[in-house]
Amino acid sequence: MSDTKGTDVPVESKDNQDKGNQDEKRVGVFVCECGVNIGGVVDTHAVADYIATLPGVKATSVNKFTCSDSGQADIQQKIKEHNLNRVVVAACSPKTHEPTFRACIEQMGLNQYFLEFVNIRDHCSWIHMWEKDKATEKSKDLVRMGVERSKLLEPLEASEVPVTDTALVVGGGVAGMQASLDLADMGFKVYLVEKEPSIGGRMARFDKVFPTNDCSICILGPKMVEVVRNKNIMIMSYSEVKEVDGYVGNFNVKIEHKPRYLDTSKCTGCAKCSEVCPVEVPYDFNEGFGTRKAIYVPFPQAVPLRAVLDKENCINCKACARACESKAIDYDMQTTYTDLNAGIIIGAVGFKTYDPEPGHDFGYGLYDNVITAMEFERLLNAAGPTGGHVIRPSDCREPIRVGFVNCVGSRDKNTNIYCSGVCCMYTIKNAQLLKEKRPETDHTIMYIDIRTPFRSYEESYNRARNLGVKFLRGRPVEVKENPENKNIMVRVEDTLANEIRNLEFDLLVLSTGVVPHDGIHKLQQLLKLSKAADGFLMEAHPKLRPVDTTIDGVYLAGVASGPKDIPYAVSQGSACAGRATILLKNRKAITEGITAVVDPDVCAGCGVCVPMCPFQAIKMDEEAGKANVVKALCKGCGTCVTACPTGALEQSHFKNDQVLAQVKNVFRFQEAAV
Amino acid sequence: MQKGEMFLGWSTKEDIRKRGGSGGLVTSVLAAALDKKLVDSVVVLKKINDFEAVPVITSDVNEVLNSAGSLHSVPSNFAKLIANKNLKVALPAKGCDVRGIIEQGKRNTIKLDNTFIIGLNCGGSMHPTVTREMLEVMYKIRPEDVHGEEIEKGKLIFETKDGKEHAITIDELEEKGYGRRESCRYCTIKIPNNADLACGNWGVTGELAGKATFVEVNSEKGAELLQNAVDAGYVQIQKPDEKGIAARARIKGAMEGLSRKWKEKVFIPMDNRLEYFRKELENCIDCGACKTVCPTCSCGDVSKCTEFHYRGDAYKMSMYHLVRFLHLADSCIGCGQCTDVCPVDIPLTRLYRRFANPVQEELKYEPGMDLRRPPYFEVKLND
Amino acid sequence: MSAEAWEPKIVAFCCNWCSYGGADSAGMGRFQQPPSTRIIRVMCSGRIDPLHVFNAFLEGADAVLVTGCHIGDCHYVNGNDKTKIKYKFLESVVRELGIEKERLQLNWISASEGEKFASFIRDVTEQIKKLGPSPLKPEGVS
Ligand SMILES: Cc1cc2nc3c(=O)[nH]c(=O)nc-3n(C[C@H](O)[C@H](O)[C@H](O)COP(=O)(O)OP(=O)(O)OC[C@H]3O[C@@H](n4cnc5c(N)ncnc54)[C@H](O)[C@@H]3O)c2cc1C
Ligand SMILES: Cc1cc2nc3c(=O)[nH]c(=O)nc-3n(C[C@H](O)[C@H](O)[C@H](O)COP(=O)(O)OP(=O)(O)OC[C@H]3O[C@@H](n4cnc5c(N)ncnc54)[C@H](O)[C@@H]3O)c2cc1C
Ligand code: SF4
Ligand code: SF4
Ligand code: FES
Repeated sequence: MSDTKGTDVPVESKDNQDKGNQDEKRVGVFVCECGVNIGGVVDTHAVADYIATLPGVKATSVNKFTCSDSGQADIQQKIKEHNLNRVVVAACSPKTHEPTFRACIEQMGLNQYFLEFVNIRDHCSWIHMWEKDKATEKSKDLVRMGVERSKLLEPLEASEVPVTDTALVVGGGVAGMQASLDLADMGFKVYLVEKEPSIGGRMARFDKVFPTNDCSICILGPKMVEVVRNKNIMIMSYSEVKEVDGYVGNFNVKIEHKPRYLDTSKCTGCAKCSEVCPVEVPYDFNEGFGTRKAIYVPFPQAVPLRAVLDKENCINCKACARACESKAIDYDMQTTYTDLNAGIIIGAVGFKTYDPEPGHDFGYGLYDNVITAMEFERLLNAAGPTGGHVIRPSDCREPIRVGFVNCVGSRDKNTNIYCSGVCCMYTIKNAQLLKEKRPETDHTIMYIDIRTPFRSYEESYNRARNLGVKFLRGRPVEVKENPENKNIMVRVEDTLANEIRNLEFDLLVLSTGVVPHDGIHKLQQLLKLSKAADGFLMEAHPKLRPVDTTIDGVYLAGVASGPKDIPYAVSQGSACAGRATILLKNRKAITEGITAVVDPDVCAGCGVCVPMCPFQAIKMDEEAGKANVVKALCKGCGTCVTACPTGALEQSHFKNDQVLAQVKNVFRFQEAAV
Repeated sequence: MQKGEMFLGWSTKEDIRKRGGSGGLVTSVLAAALDKKLVDSVVVLKKINDFEAVPVITSDVNEVLNSAGSLHSVPSNFAKLIANKNLKVALPAKGCDVRGIIEQGKRNTIKLDNTFIIGLNCGGSMHPTVTREMLEVMYKIRPEDVHGEEIEKGKLIFETKDGKEHAITIDELEEKGYGRRESCRYCTIKIPNNADLACGNWGVTGELAGKATFVEVNSEKGAELLQNAVDAGYVQIQKPDEKGIAARARIKGAMEGLSRKWKEKVFIPMDNRLEYFRKELENCIDCGACKTVCPTCSCGDVSKCTEFHYRGDAYKMSMYHLVRFLHLADSCIGCGQCTDVCPVDIPLTRLYRRFANPVQEELKYEPGMDLRRPPYFEVKLND
Repeated sequence: MSAEAWEPKIVAFCCNWCSYGGADSAGMGRFQQPPSTRIIRVMCSGRIDPLHVFNAFLEGADAVLVTGCHIGDCHYVNGNDKTKIKYKFLESVVRELGIEKERLQLNWISASEGEKFASFIRDVTEQIKKLGPSPLKPEGVS
């Protein structure tokens, strides 16, 4: 059979690396005693003597501590003396000491990948303490495996890719805003893309925010203004990311701008247009309570403070055009696109709340007086549809007896098994707020557990108790409407008192959980991210890299990567900015030197490898019918290499022949055994 | 006309209808596809003698028309013939041809959208060398004297130049070690519903028996093919009667049952398997013919099975075959090609199926029957 | 050589991030193991090519171990999901070939599971000692 296998990666070599790439392999082997750690068990000199008999081994040494200065000096000295081009160190674990010796041989002009590290301590002397002879024999095997592999090693370069020092932030909620501000303050240009007409996200809709119940818009508003004022931030509201191409340092992004049907450079946000507009439609910002006009300013603190015309509901009467003093209205406006280049991307697209309507959870959608917490938030809000009066939908009366059901769409195997993290706290907040406004009201929170983990949370819970908010542990088993007065009748087991209770409420509020929305799905597809089991986006490591993703240069902040409250979301915004700055400031990213490489002469174009790569590093060149590895994306795991049936794909530093050299040298013919 | 419909059809040209395996429909559909530029080329068999032939790719309508008739001693597989050629092609195909073509399609060497597959029902084919020997030993006729062959009512009939017919039952032939190739005996794809059309003589009853082809439309492409031939005046079709449809289904069921029995007979559980495989592979000369001919493999000359096989190192077992056993465990279609070509007569298909049967059964994967990705190339299997 | 004294040769493929670390931890914890095993490091268990496993058997391995991170912990997202598939095929081929199932084993071992690594090696060595040398082992090889 053919043995015409093409060789890959003759990496551009510096002069001094040619030395290492010469045909004759001159190997030096350095056996470490690691004090008595190795030397106390393995007969290191016997190992060195045996290894010296192998072809290609030009020098051997035994050192007390090879990693010490004198040990390293010995290596360097022998490289010079014997003109070595491969170095095998038999010592401890490469996981701790490989970098040391790579640097050591690199100083001598050898490519750092010409080092082979053999572990005869952790994997030998330490685990065969009472079998010294066998440990010595095993060490000989291990070192021989290393020597034979070393002869096949090839020079590699970790490559650098340039990084454009601009950032793209997707999602203008509190997390995205924080990330944008931090990056802008550090001097980087930021594009902040928000799909709604105004930034602000969910927080802009709340009246007050837990745990301290300060006015939400009073703290968010100034931040929004800061964003719009910052010269380094370019807000692209009413816009969405359509395409992303490229990789870390150099993402090419296409943004779609939906037409507002008015010239934002002329509009002053005075809202004269909406005053004259004759069309009224339910307003989703208010969760459907109250109405807005077909042309409207999203909310008084909106950023940018510009109107937007909703073409779907516009009847083309042109009243607004006549009313607008700055002649901003333009009915013929088209969708436009911007192409931009960003070095890094931060995803902060947030969430939506669980929708109890399709399943009629707890009578929602059947009975007028069952509402969601988000609706309750809008009713509480002084700038909301009722001017801050909580009313019940059936008769617009202000309710006295209010029930809250926690964990709706959370911690439930029929909907979502995870805990939404914020519902206990916002329910406590909402009950308090209404109780403070109208002390005559009576509140009962029906819960499974109350979770109050962070600073001032437990205090907030205590405050609610002191205010007289009742806590009942139990989940309603039946919710019915009294057809006469539309009151809500709830049957619930009080699991602490161990009794069934029948309660009557004027209003029942469902604490609906936090769920992933379409924006998350879109971002996942655009950036090739992974989703966790809960449907939110997945971080690179749940503990140690909580805002990174598996895609270099892409970070996640806020609820997009799972339920969290505002302080947590804001911290992540800052964390993303910090992580991103490493790249933006250095203006370069280092990519893995060990990568997969395709030999185009051998590649059959079967495409098997493409879906193997979790980093989307393999692209099919349709024209040539060959696979192609984008080095900047490849992380060098080698799983594609295993799948490739032709062997066209190889992983540098772990090429099949290199691995097989080790395999073959595990064994010895008995004659040769000492 | 649409997917799922069945027809009886025949060539409007009388001599083709006569020469055709049943109604000459397949030949006419192929010719019409070429004539009306539905495709640029067609694969047909070019005869060497009256029972042997080689496949050719042609754009000549007359060559297509000449090819009418079934040849049971031509077991070649057409998949690799059309691979890597980027053809817009129509071709007749036995079940195993279809499966090979689909597997090649998954590996990007054939564009399935541009490939019109006319499936032939197939009860099995015979190896030409075995046929020659059989003619001499069983039929006592010289292969050169054969003028035509036919299968009727379980009998394999050869006609000699002197006009005489010689018939022996297939059962008897197989008992004596002749007849169908071993892989055909246990093949269960009797009606190729994975092709665009499935054509055969099963289900043609009464007056039309022997004079029409039963055709089932399996895809939109199939409908397009057949409609084109009707519109171009090449074929005539009519609806089959219920009796015919039922008969076809019944025969299919019976044939599949027989195949399953054969499978049990061939693959009896074995102890000491390692010895068995070692023995069977002992004579392998590493010629690579089995890989070259394999219709599901899309590798070029260089591949993992060949590159890391060193004769000197394959002390107790062939690395080449080990890698192929694994790589084909999900994708082997059991077409028998490897056994056919092996110069040292290793029963390769039987060996390969030993590995493929359990994997394909466990993963419920039937290669070449649909576009499902081979499990070996999945990222994750849902268990 | 008496059966008692015979030391099998076992080739263990480990991924850099988890099971190799597990072997390191076994060393650090001084968890004693029979000197049967030779570890070959790859970056991810997904890189363990069935080819390498076959080669180990043909060269004389009495057992081959495929190890990596626990499912969900792979450093490269899902490399070990792919390992699982490759292993399923390997397992089936080895079984059909007539090689005892103990000679090929899969285990997920994290970098902290030193004790687990050590007891795995002890167990496998024990099983292989009972089975004796692999039927694929070439004559004269140790
Ligand atoms: C009823 C309720 C009450 C709450 N009360 C409190 C509280 O009192 N205190 C507290 O700390 N936390 C509270 N929370 C939690 C709080 O809402 C979140 O922690 C916070 O909003 C998270 O901010 P974010 O930026 O991650 O997401 P969001 O606020 O959801 O912002 C995401 C932004 O991204 C935009 N976007 C979405 N998709 C795209 C896309 N494809 N392209 C561009 N932009 C997109 C959205 O329009 C939105 O502006 C409450 C939650 C709920 C449900
Ligand atoms: C080996 C074999 C076994 C068969 N067994 C059955 C059966 O058990 N039951 C059943 O109902 N039908 C079977 N058929 C199908 C049947 O013989 C007819 O081919 C079918 O009915 C179509 O008839 P037709 O007259 O329309 O085809 P025709 O017009 O005769 O066209 C036949 C086409 O098939 C091609 N062809 C001939 N031999 C082969 C071959 N060996 N491999 C690939 N292509 C070939 C020719 O080149 C031609 O293009 C078998 C066919 C073959 C080749
Ligand atoms: S080695 Fe891993 S990261 Fe690199 S291309 Fe292959 S699968 Fe992707
Ligand atoms: S798997 Fe191998 S042969 Fe197939 S496309 Fe990828 S590199 Fe080419
Ligand atoms: S890195 Fe350990 S299995 Fe992938």
